Amino acid sequence: MAPALVIAQKDLRQRIRDRSAIILGVVAPLVIAALMSLAFKGTETIHLTLGVVDSDHGPAAAGLVEALHGPGLKDLVTVVSETSPHAASDAVQTGRAGAAMVIPAGFSASIGGSHPLPLTTLTNVNNTLAAEITSSIAQSFVAQINADRLSVATAVAGGEAPASASAALATAHLSLPVQAVQQAFGAKELKTISYYGPSMAIFFLLFTISFTSRSFFVDRDQGMLERMLAAPVHPLSVLLGKVLSAFVFGVVSLGIIVAVTTYAFGADWGNPLAAGLLSLAMVLAVTATTALVIGVARTQRQAEGISSFVVFGLALLGGNFVFVSVTPPIMQRLALLTPNGWALRGYTDLATTGGGLAIVAVPIVAILVYTLAVAAAATALAPRALRP
Amino acid sequence: MAHAESNVAVEPILEVAGVTRRFGDRVAVDDISFSIPPGQIYGLLGPNGAGKTTTMKMVCGLLHPDSGTVRVAGHPAGSLSAKALVGYVPQDIALYPDLTGRENLRFLGRLFGLGGDLLGERVDVALELTDLGDRANDRLSTYSGGMQRRLNIAAGLLNHPVLLVLDEPTVGVDPQSRHAILERVQTFGQLGMAVVYATHYMEEAERVCDRVGIVDRGRLVAEGTRRELVDRLGERDRIELGAAGNLEHLAEACRSLEGVEGAAVADHHVQLLVREGRQLLPAVLEAAERTGVQVSSVDVIEPDLEAVFLHLTGTALRE
Repeated sequence: MAPALVIAQKDLRQRIRDRSAIILGVVAPLVIAALMSLAFKGTETIHLTLGVVDSDHGPAAAGLVEALHGPGLKDLVTVVSETSPHAASDAVQTGRAGAAMVIPAGFSASIGGSHPLPLTTLTNVNNTLAAEITSSIAQSFVAQINADRLSVATAVAGGEAPASASAALATAHLSLPVQAVQQAFGAKELKTISYYGPSMAIFFLLFTISFTSRSFFVDRDQGMLERMLAAPVHPLSVLLGKVLSAFVFGVVSLGIIVAVTTYAFGADWGNPLAAGLLSLAMVLAVTATTALVIGVARTQRQAEGISSFVVFGLALLGGNFVFVSVTPPIMQRLALLTPNGWALRGYTDLATTGGGLAIVAVPIVAILVYTLAVAAAATALAPRALRP
Repeated sequence: MAHAESNVAVEPILEVAGVTRRFGDRVAVDDISFSIPPGQIYGLLGPNGAGKTTTMKMVCGLLHPDSGTVRVAGHPAGSLSAKALVGYVPQDIALYPDLTGRENLRFLGRLFGLGGDLLGERVDVALELTDLGDRANDRLSTYSGGMQRRLNIAAGLLNHPVLLVLDEPTVGVDPQSRHAILERVQTFGQLGMAVVYATHYMEEAERVCDRVGIVDRGRLVAEGTRRELVDRLGERDRIELGAAGNLEHLAEACRSLEGVEGAAVADHHVQLLVREGRQLLPAVLEAAERTGVQVSSVDVIEPDLEAVFLHLTGTALRE
């Protein structure tokens, strides 16, 4: 058997015996993914109880209430009628309603004039998501009213009788631009576990960098590296054996996490072939990064410090802790400098689009480019690390 | 020891020729040359830092000499063909504590390309040679220090080396384990292996080595069989004084005595290289009294390698 395989096999044997590696590689990502999924479960099945105070009872108010009950919002919003602004405020504060909307008296009449009355939304700082949805609905409605007002004004300016223009507005079928709501939640619902499953799997996969590089320097400190190099093996075989064990461990760890999150937690990893290739690319990137850390560090302590920096740096930049889509644009761009950022993007695309290989081609290529660059640097630095 | 006088015409297994190795400005090994035929146990005797380990590493191909050549059975040291012929036993125990004795040996044996039944046989033989067969399936972390040392040696025997390199294999072991290790080393020579044995224990070199090279500050200052080296001393004796007080003062005082050719301090002892040791004793004791040193023991020892080292370097082996 090739020396690299002998070394990899021995390393894997040691790693399996070391329970902490199993905990870090399999148990921890599953537990953390499940906990994060539980913690953020509300964000995937958003449902808003919206209090509505109709003090207007006019056609515009009726149109708004009808739109709120419409098919576009029925899964998202449950409308509860409130008797007064005070009652609505109380409902929001006590949590009976996520937010409320107040349609003032004279609202319908005012929109034909020069000073239309405003819609008021009542929100709670503890429920920012409900506030955003309510605000979005109100703004969409107001935007359409304003568009209708502009149409009427244009018609009047064009010689239409004001009365007929007002009647047209009154009978206009008011509706909400549904796409505004749909765009906020994606083409296909992304379950939290489908994000945090891959996210935590990758995060803990990154720890392979830490314990593999540490193992290399422990070998060196204990004289094992020297002993291996005294045998008739090429020095690079020793490094190759080390990173090969990291690769196998990473593949097995990811495989177990994919299986468990799919069957136990209902995570959607998307097309199996595409997800598998994406995962392999990610493990390769981690393996190359491990070799680079070994090449850069000179001592076990340095290896531990550098690998911690790399692991948490990649995890923070790549979006393993938060949805990248909710971060500022600069962070979204930085995420694409990391292999895990690309991998998460690939997994998310697979889960939300139902696409296949084509959808992850760009992420896979990006990860492989990173891998090749890092592997080249690691190979250049390897001779220094392999000096007894 | 039987091989020492009969190997003149035999091709050497190890040839070290004019080897120098520097680390920065420091010359660790300075123009060392020696050779070892099959079946000979060659001791590299010198204090810590003398350059023994650096020499061993160059023999194993772990370090490259700055100048000079090292060849193992005709192959350049460090080449894969040379490495396949060398068994290396490092000074520290280089084994995995979380693997069993057998697993450690199987792993290292496989690095030498062994496999299948042959690997099993070699592992069993190595375990038997080091009396560890009954503990083979226990993890190394449960072994005593002496047992770990023995397994460390067993790992160097797996490839049936023609050259066995032992770097201070008895450091830190109890007398019983040391005795067992030295007995084994003697058998390796009898099995036909060439053995390089680095030590700073004079007794070990005298006991197991057919030839000894005395190393000091990177240089090989003398080489030969024990008899050849000791004969260099002529009629000299070594006086060893166990004493308390300012031993450097006593050594200095003794150096001025007629008949004292060398004096050094080591391990709470003052060592003197003298002519006519017994006749010189009263003067030495008087010097001790004069310098305020309390003498607790006096030994007049016949010429040995310790005395040779003192004679050649002016210092004691164990400083």
